Amino acid sequence: MASNSAPAMIDPAIFQFLQSHAEQDIDVNEKLSQITAVLNRQISTAQGYLSRIHSTPTSKIQPLLSQIEKEGIQPAISSIQELGKFASNYPYYKYNQRWSRSVQNLVAVMLVTAWLGGMGNESRPGEQGRLLRIEEVGEILEAPINLTDRDEFHVTIEEYILAMTDLTEELSRLAMNSVTMGDINLTVRISSFIKDLFAGFQLLNLKNDILRRRVDAVKYHVKKVEDVIYDLSLRNLIPEAKEEAS
Amino acid sequence: MAAAEVVVPQIQDDSMAGVKRDYKGNRKEGNPGLPKDVVRNEYTSMFESFRDSLDEHHDRRQKIGKVSRDVTALSKKIVRKLNEPIPQNISSEIEKRTKEIKELLLTIVDDVAGLRRYQYSMPGIEEFVEAVSFAHYLETQTLITPEQMQAALGDDVQIPITPADYVFGLFDLTGEMMRFATAVTALSGAMPSGFMGEEEDNGRTILEDLQETANCAPISSKGWKDKKGVMIEQVRKVERVGYGVRVRGNERPKGVGYDFDVGEETAPVMD
Repeated sequence: MASNSAPAMIDPAIFQFLQSHAEQDIDVNEKLSQITAVLNRQISTAQGYLSRIHSTPTSKIQPLLSQIEKEGIQPAISSIQELGKFASNYPYYKYNQRWSRSVQNLVAVMLVTAWLGGMGNESRPGEQGRLLRIEEVGEILEAPINLTDRDEFHVTIEEYILAMTDLTEELSRLAMNSVTMGDINLTVRISSFIKDLFAGFQLLNLKNDILRRRVDAVKYHVKKVEDVIYDLSLRNLIPEAKEEAS
Repeated sequence: MAAAEVVVPQIQDDSMAGVKRDYKGNRKEGNPGLPKDVVRNEYTSMFESFRDSLDEHHDRRQKIGKVSRDVTALSKKIVRKLNEPIPQNISSEIEKRTKEIKELLLTIVDDVAGLRRYQYSMPGIEEFVEAVSFAHYLETQTLITPEQMQAALGDDVQIPITPADYVFGLFDLTGEMMRFATAVTALSGAMPSGFMGEEEDNGRTILEDLQETANCAPISSKGWKDKKGVMIEQVRKVERVGYGVRVRGNERPKGVGYDFDVGEETAPVMD
């Protein structure tokens, strides 16, 4: 150990500094684990309800959508608010990978529900074919979106775009199942919507990251729907007065 | 998908890649960002605004990444200089490099301000911490404090050094201390202590300092565990060196002298 005359190698303040930061980090991670565990459970519940859209005919979809909203999405929103309140105390990007996936999953559930005609409110009733915009997502979650000027919890553009790729995936599956359930109009509608979104995705300049991989997959969603439309048009099953599939 | 290749970023800095040129190499004028054949639908403008945000993000990441790499290179030069067996002109060289680093960092202060500090990874800062803390250690035989570290960046460079930068820099520092300890011990035949510009020996050897540093490294936190394992291994190595030199020290020839005035060719390479 150091003699008394010379300064010590390590200022005790450094030790305290390191210790307190390590402890804080552990505490934050623990708390985040708690919150996200609850949140993820709620999202799985919502996803469970949501998977029933593939076997629920359009005429009976409204009660299912309200159930998804009430029992699936609403509880998750309260967890998001708890998360937002806690996470805003710490640098956003230091921890955001802990919940980014969850936010994306929840937003995806919201997008699908809204597209099918759910997520309506007084000013804007639900309607089939509606894409919930990122601003609306932010309002529903009561969270800011795409923050750049202050370091708080928010929903990022990336999370929203990824959720849109979940939406196209879910709808491409529904395009097939709605044929089975006898609602070919829905299939046609999905087809034109997915193509519109696909055109939008192509405007993005993507780098080699998760966004690229997921957005690249959208073309397979388009193809899946196109195949269904092809089968239908070959057999003249597509109701007239609807736009032709290419 | 062929259509994807039509689209070119709208706003492009001249220094960035991706400028469309004609066959003579002249930059194509006009508005390359808007392909004429895009059929607009109700989502087009939304995607265009996303595209602009993402482009800005990627450009920024690229810019920060470049600065970070340059800072890394300069920091490594500082460390190499510090490890040279004959320390000469060290301070002037380090000052020069540090100045270059500061100038580089100054160009990205706005890009890493606020919440962006954690958004973009900047491994160069860690390397800078390593270089500065190593120089600080050789000069004063003390561990640099976080405040001193931040001060080393100067008042102009308003880039916070995060606790993680600091900690990872210290992990790298012990690697340099190990290298230094083994090299100098082999040369001088004794574990170095009070080695540089010290008027009186403070009685501590570099081995003790290393041991203390390792003890001080925070217990656990994800991601730190591996690094800490490496650090402990480094300390063990120097402990073996210390033991070896005490037990067998007399049996083999020492370096030319106890001071640093030895030829470069006798410096052992121990990595």
